[in-house]
Amino acid sequence: MKKILFALSLLAIAYSCQKEIDIDLNEANPIIVIEANYTAEDSIVRVGISLTSNYFGTDQPTTIDAAVVTITDALGNAQNVPNIGDGNFELLNYLPLFNTTYTLNVVYNGVSYTAESDLPSPVSLDEITYDFFPSFFGLDSGYISNLNFVDPADTINNYLVILTRNGEELNKLTQITPQDDLLTDGNPVARPLFSQFFDFGDTIGMELQSVDQQVFNYYSELISIAGGGGGAAPANPTTNWDNDALGFFSAYSNSRTEAVVQ
Amino acid sequence: MKYFITLILFLLVSYSYGQKFTLSGSIRDGENGEDLFGAVIKVKELSNVGTITNAYGFYSLTLDSGQYTIVYRSTGFETQEIVIDLNDNIEKNIELAIPADVLQVEEVTANAERENDNITSSEMNVTRFDPKSIETIPVLFGEKDIMKTLQLMPGVKTAGEGNAGFFVRGGGADQNLILLDEAPVYNASHLLGFFSVFNSDAIKDVALYKSGIPAEYGGRASSVMDVKMREGSTKKYSASGGLGLISSRLTIEGPIVKNKGSFIVSGRRSYADLFLGLSDQAPPDTKLFFYDLNLKANYRIGKKDRIFLSGYFGRDKFALGDQFGFSWGNGTGTLRWNHIVNKKLFSNTSVVYSNFNYEFSIGTGDDAFGVRSSIQDWNLKQDFQFFLNSNNTFKFGVNGIYHTFKPGALTGSNETFNELILDTRYALEVGVYVQHEIKIGSRFNMMYGLRYSGFDLMGEGNAYEYDEDGHQTSETQYSSGETIKYHHGLEPRLSASFILSESNSIKFGYNRNLQYLHQLSNSTTSSPTDVWVPSSNNVRPIIADQVALGYYQNLNKNMFRISAEIYYKWMDNMIDYRNGASLILNNDVEGELVYGTGSAYGFELQVEKKKGKITGWISYTLSRSLRSFDQINNGEEFSARQDRIHDLAVVVMYRLNKAIAFSASWIYYTGDAVTFPSGKYEINGTQVPYYTERNGYRMPDYHRLDFGFTWYMKDRKHFEHSLNFSIYNLYARENAYTITFEENPVDPDYPDGPQETQAIQTTLFKFVPSLTYNFKIK
Repeated sequence: MKKILFALSLLAIAYSCQKEIDIDLNEANPIIVIEANYTAEDSIVRVGISLTSNYFGTDQPTTIDAAVVTITDALGNAQNVPNIGDGNFELLNYLPLFNTTYTLNVVYNGVSYTAESDLPSPVSLDEITYDFFPSFFGLDSGYISNLNFVDPADTINNYLVILTRNGEELNKLTQITPQDDLLTDGNPVARPLFSQFFDFGDTIGMELQSVDQQVFNYYSELISIAGGGGGAAPANPTTNWDNDALGFFSAYSNSRTEAVVQ
Repeated sequence: MKYFITLILFLLVSYSYGQKFTLSGSIRDGENGEDLFGAVIKVKELSNVGTITNAYGFYSLTLDSGQYTIVYRSTGFETQEIVIDLNDNIEKNIELAIPADVLQVEEVTANAERENDNITSSEMNVTRFDPKSIETIPVLFGEKDIMKTLQLMPGVKTAGEGNAGFFVRGGGADQNLILLDEAPVYNASHLLGFFSVFNSDAIKDVALYKSGIPAEYGGRASSVMDVKMREGSTKKYSASGGLGLISSRLTIEGPIVKNKGSFIVSGRRSYADLFLGLSDQAPPDTKLFFYDLNLKANYRIGKKDRIFLSGYFGRDKFALGDQFGFSWGNGTGTLRWNHIVNKKLFSNTSVVYSNFNYEFSIGTGDDAFGVRSSIQDWNLKQDFQFFLNSNNTFKFGVNGIYHTFKPGALTGSNETFNELILDTRYALEVGVYVQHEIKIGSRFNMMYGLRYSGFDLMGEGNAYEYDEDGHQTSETQYSSGETIKYHHGLEPRLSASFILSESNSIKFGYNRNLQYLHQLSNSTTSSPTDVWVPSSNNVRPIIADQVALGYYQNLNKNMFRISAEIYYKWMDNMIDYRNGASLILNNDVEGELVYGTGSAYGFELQVEKKKGKITGWISYTLSRSLRSFDQINNGEEFSARQDRIHDLAVVVMYRLNKAIAFSASWIYYTGDAVTFPSGKYEINGTQVPYYTERNGYRMPDYHRLDFGFTWYMKDRKHFEHSLNFSIYNLYARENAYTITFEENPVDPDYPDGPQETQAIQTTLFKFVPSLTYNFKIK
């Protein structure tokens, strides 16, 4: 709906123009950013820790290796997630227990940061379909893929849909599509994905991540501000970390499928 | 309340003896027979004795018996004086003539004995104008617009470029009560705000109350914009219209029965989509247009009764073939009965209907589904005006509005979507008021009143309770008509003026206003999908208190008017929403809200030149508008978006001769308070802005010069026409509409280098010329 309103306002404002401008921004104190995923598919816990930098700064962000990272399962078994350099931490062969809660803890500089995430069961994707989409108000033409799957009935499901093109990762934030089941609970879902156009002969790859509600909300808010939007008063997305850390912790499962445009 | 009524009864009684007679009647426009609102009736022999006509042209003046010279005067008309022997009650209907020559108007007004009503009236902080007086002011796309012109007045701020919304003295855009012939208009904009719903051809009078709001108005916290439609000529048929680049309009009016009744029909349609047909980028069958229709008819039944029927219907439509449709619009209807009970008591009874709705339709056939939402009001209103004597006028009345809110429904045959119908909300909003306008001696005028208002949110439906984090904790079911929550309160109003001399005065105003409906908007522009939320078990009504003090001075035989006002406003129970709140199709929208307070204060200065070849005004506002919410900005006070510190408008109209008029307006204001990032970080390989404080930054300052030129071509006996040419943003200032923060495109030389970020400014209108042809067949 937002996109349509946007297209409508674009139409009304055919006179508009854009340019890059200089703005003097404050320099905020660096804040810890923890991006943590536990992927059931390959049984790996991946954690990246860094600090915020100045908005127009051009240096690589400061990464943090001197932190202690621990993951705890629903039974209370804690395991260390070892540092592998460049602010990254990885724990291999960590087998999933679906529909349980995982807790991740990071201790850095004497401060402890904790987040919880539920690991939902995977939901399988049906075959990808695609349609040719003609040029529309100056937007590109091309093939768009359709998301097809059957939503499990009577449970709250939240998904992130991620596309790849010819095996190439496209998971820039604005190309992730959040999908909930508030209006589609228990139904077959068929939804065109406008986030990426494909050419004839391309291989479309689609991943359907099942995430918990907090992670879904986090991504929904994150995508709107990363795209330059966020409404009249943009704010940092609501994270599941405590102690004012930025980022998120997502324990997720997924399913994948592929199709060639022909 | 009880004491108040007793006091008024006492006043009524104490004034009711003595040898006094009443002069009453109506004042009309001699050319078309329309009622003149706010026309002045003065007694030449007495100072500070007189009255003004009400909205229906009725006046009543009670004086001691004797001989008087009565002066009838209204801006733009020739003044009439008659000598009367008041030894009985007299009824006198007056028709004021328009000077034969347009230029003569200046002389007539210059010769008018006193043009200092702004000094002597107790009405404070009211901005009133006739759309005719602003027709040469340059506007975007040449579509003259009363709402855009109001935004050039002190204390009134535009909601943004090309936006019909406005902010009055630091209040929100939803805090303005916009009335069209007594019917509330919920969404006053077309094409997402580039046009207002008011077709100037059909409008007679616009009044904007900023403080000391009369007790007869209620329901919004910040201001009242009272728009009155024309009635149409009771004397002869005529047609007028205009052809513009974006839209065209046509008005037809005439008598139903000569001098007894009249009608007016005014229509307007935009055709921006016709140009889309020329572009190969738009899909075929693309529709994008709006239309509106104003209708009004009135009829006098005998000498004492008069019936009015007025209606507005307007709609915006956007469609891509039959695949997608989006439309929204207002419909209002007002049926009024004026009754002159006796020479001193005037009664008006109204039944008012108002509806706003929007709908989406997507797909066709078996896959089609749609979303619709509406808000509907039925309002029954009884008002009385009692002209006790030349020093005392009372207004009192009662009204009840039955609201039906349908916040949203998703329906259709598409197997993907389950039907979802949000709870319909019902509410009864009641108001009772009494107001007394009194003149004490020749120097002191006062208007004070009290309004009681109540809001009864009723079943059938569910009420939900929420915890601190907005999660639903419980739900209670209510049966039809059962009260879920009753909110109510008293709203005292006061406005007083002290006349220092013929040419200067001091005025004071106080008002408390309660607002039971809140609008939620998550965008910088007004959108038809903005949700109205009624007060409930979770949401409390906004309470606004305002004090204002003003000094008014006329110079050079009332050629110049200077006004300076200061105000302070407190606002309680303001609402905002949590981060990431979902406002559409959400039954738990009340759980997304947070509550806080606001304050606004400022200084307003206006210098206006009323007469001569050059007319116009300079208005300047120095003001702040702040908000405070526990959950936002760590509980620290922050600037509201409209917290523009400086706001300046200069409007100049130059009538070179009978045929040619030039106009120019220049506006400048401090950029809106806005939230910009103070840092960044990377998530999923994408740069994400890091925000610290809410509205801690400023958009660049806004300024713009518009220019207009009107050529009144040679009049014929039954035909007159003119050509209006205007340029919006003459010096092509690139004003920021939005500033967004995003990643630079990847540098092909360093594809793996750190991703840089940039600020991108979008500008809407630079140098937009437009041409409009206007005609009148009479």
